[in-house]
Amino acid sequence: MGPDSAPVAIFIGQPNCGKSTLFNALAGHKAQTSNFPGTTVKHTHSKVNIGGRLLQVIDLPGTYSLNPSDPAEKVALTHLFLEKPDVIINVVDASLLGRSLELTLELIEMEYPLAVALNMTDLAEKKGIKVDPHKLEALLGVPVIPTIATRGRGIQELVQAALKCLEADCRRARPPWSGDVEDEIEKLIELLPQDFPCVANKRFTAIKMIESGHLFCNEFLEEINPSLKKSLDEVRAALEGKRRLPVYEVIAAERHHLSQRIFEESSRVQRRTKAGWQERLDGLIMHPLLGYPIMLTVFLIFFLLIFKVGSPLETLLLKPLASLKAVLQAWLGNRLSFHLADGLLQGIGGGLAIVLPYYIPLLFLMGLLEDIGYLARAGFLLDTFMHRIGLHGKSISPFILGFGCNVPAIVSTRILESRRDRVLTSLLIPFIPCSARTTVILALVAFYLGPYWALGFYAMNVLLVAVLSRILSLFFKTPSPGLILEIPSLKIPRLKNIFMKVYFQLKCFVQFAWPLLIAGSLILGFIQSCHWDKAINTVLSPLVVNVLGLPKELGVTLIFGFLRKELSLLMMLQALGTSYQNLISVVTREQIVVFTVFVSFFIPCLSTFAILWKESGKKIAFLSAGLSISVAVIVSFLVKLLI
Amino acid sequence: MMSLLEAPRRVRLKVIDIAGGEGVRRRLFSLGFHKGDEIECSAQGILGGPVIIKHIHSGVTAAVGRGIARKILVEAVDGTR
Repeated sequence: MGPDSAPVAIFIGQPNCGKSTLFNALAGHKAQTSNFPGTTVKHTHSKVNIGGRLLQVIDLPGTYSLNPSDPAEKVALTHLFLEKPDVIINVVDASLLGRSLELTLELIEMEYPLAVALNMTDLAEKKGIKVDPHKLEALLGVPVIPTIATRGRGIQELVQAALKCLEADCRRARPPWSGDVEDEIEKLIELLPQDFPCVANKRFTAIKMIESGHLFCNEFLEEINPSLKKSLDEVRAALEGKRRLPVYEVIAAERHHLSQRIFEESSRVQRRTKAGWQERLDGLIMHPLLGYPIMLTVFLIFFLLIFKVGSPLETLLLKPLASLKAVLQAWLGNRLSFHLADGLLQGIGGGLAIVLPYYIPLLFLMGLLEDIGYLARAGFLLDTFMHRIGLHGKSISPFILGFGCNVPAIVSTRILESRRDRVLTSLLIPFIPCSARTTVILALVAFYLGPYWALGFYAMNVLLVAVLSRILSLFFKTPSPGLILEIPSLKIPRLKNIFMKVYFQLKCFVQFAWPLLIAGSLILGFIQSCHWDKAINTVLSPLVVNVLGLPKELGVTLIFGFLRKELSLLMMLQALGTSYQNLISVVTREQIVVFTVFVSFFIPCLSTFAILWKESGKKIAFLSAGLSISVAVIVSFLVKLLI
Repeated sequence: MMSLLEAPRRVRLKVIDIAGGEGVRRRLFSLGFHKGDEIECSAQGILGGPVIIKHIHSGVTAAVGRGIARKILVEAVDGTR
C-alpha cells in the first residue's frame, strides 16, 4: 500500500501498446503519448477516485520483457520490484497479441494481483484478428477486459476488475511450461533456502537466476552459498544440454511458444488477401526511392504551414503592442517606471505576439506526425545516413522531438541501448533548432529575408549536426550496436488527443517558460534604467562588435539567451529601443542572420543544460556548453564573412 | 540457407539461426523474433539502409540495420511464391 494507504495500481505493458492513452483516459491528461515505441521514459503518478474509492495509479515506461535492455525499461523494472504494487494492470496490444503475451506470462509468474487490459481491439479487428476475451481469460488464468483507450471504452470495467482483484484473489492455475524445463526449475526452487532474498516468489526468483547470468545475486552466490551456486550451474547446464541453446534462449523460447499457442487458441485470424490502406500507404512512404522526396515534402509542408499561419498572426498581434508602448512612453517618460513597464510589456506581449503564433502550429503539427507513426518511418529512411555520421536510425526520434523542445528530446535518448549512442545523441540535440529557436528563425530570418532564407538556415543546421556528429563519433571507440526498431502500424490520429497534447504543452509553457521571459525582460528594463547594460556591452564588445559585427547594444541580450532563446529576440528589440516593424532601419539583413546563427548555437538554454547534467552528468553538460560556444563563434564568424 | 540480406522480398522465410551475440539476440527475442519463426522481408532501404522484417504470426514489424540483418540466417519456406 502507498504511504496514505490508497492502493497502488501500476500500468505496465510493451512499448506503444497504449498504456499512456489508457492512463490519461483514467487520470486526466498527465502522460505524454504518441505512436512511437518508447514515448514514456519516466513514470507518471496520479490519484483517481473511482466510485468513492481512492486509487493511486502509476504509468510506467513500456518494457518488452522483465529483462531490460535500455534505461527506460530499467525504470519500469525498478519500480515494479521496489514498490510492490497492490495490483498490476497489464496493457496488451490486441493487434500484436502473440508478442504482447510474452510480457503477460512473465508478469503472471510474479503472482501479484493482475488484470489484463486487452487494448486496441478495434485496430486488431481491422487487421482481421478477432480475440475471444473469455477464452483468453481462461487460458491465462487472470481477468481480461477488452478496451479501446483512444475512445475511452472499457475503462470503468477495467478498474472494477482491478479493484475486485484487490479484494479477492482472482488468479487461477497459470499456463503450464514444458515438463522438462519445469522439472529443472523445480529442482532449483527446492534448493532455495527459506531465508533466500526472493523477489515476488521462489519460482520467479529461480527463473530469473537461471535466465540472467549477470544477475546481481548470482555473482556473490559463489561466496555465500557455494553449493547453491553449483546447483544453479548444473540446472543451467542441464537446460542448455536438453535444448542445445543458450539458457536465456531456452527460457525466452518457452514463453514465446506458450504465448504463440495461447494467441492461436484464443483468436481467429482472417488474413485479408487485399492490402489495407495502411499497407499501401506504408509501401509508399517507406519506398526505398519515393520515401525520400515524400519525407522532404512532409518537412517542407510542416515548415511552410507554421510560417504561413504564424507570420500573419504575428503582424496582427504586434500592432496593438506597438501602440501600447507609445502610450506608455508618452505617459511615463524615460524613468525607471517606463523601463519596467516596457520590460513587462515585452515579456508578456512578446510571448503572446511573437512566440505563440509559431509555437502553437508547431506543437499541433508535431503531435500529428507523432500520432500517425511517422517518426519510426523517418528513422528507417534516415538510418543509412545516420550510420555515415556515426549513429543509427533510432536516434532520429530524439532528434525530431528536439525540434519541439530539447529537454524531452534529451530525456528520450533513454530509449537508446548503448551509453555511447545516448551521450553522442545528447551532445547533438542542443544543436537542433527547438521551437524557441524556430520562433527566432521565423520571426527574424523568414520575416525580414523571406522563408527561403529560413529554409537555407535549416539546411545549414542539419549539415552542421551531421559534421559535428561525424567529428564527435571519432572520439567514441566502441561502435554503435546497430538498429533494431519496431515500426508501429500507421494510425489515424484523433484530433481530440492532439488538442489535449497541445494544451498540455502550452500549459507547461505558460507555467515555466513565460515567467522566465517576463522576468528576463523586467531585469533588462531595470538594468537599462541603471545604465548597467553599457558596462556589460563594453566587456562583450570585442566578441559582439569585432568578431560578429553586430551593434554593441546586443551584447547584453546574448547573455539572457541562456535563460530562453526567445528572450534574446524580445530583448533585441528592447535593447535597440526599436519596434519590431522598424528593426530593419537599425540593423542590416546580414546582421540579422549572424545574430540568429549565434543565438541558435551559442549555448544550450538553462533547462537543456540542467537536463544534460541530470541525464549524462556534469562533464557532458559542460562539454556541451563548451562545444556550443566554440561552434557558435566559428560558424557565425564564417557566416559573417560569407554573406 | 542465406542471410537476411540475400533473401528475396515478400517470400515466407524461416529463421534458422541468429548469429549475433547475447545483446542482439535478446533484443530480437524481446520484439518476438525467435529461431524457427516465420518472417517476411518487405522492404530494404537504399545505400546500405536497414531491412524491414515482418513476423508472419504476430504481425510485428521491425527495421533492422544491415549489420544485424547479416547475422540473421533464413531459408525460404516451400509452397510460397
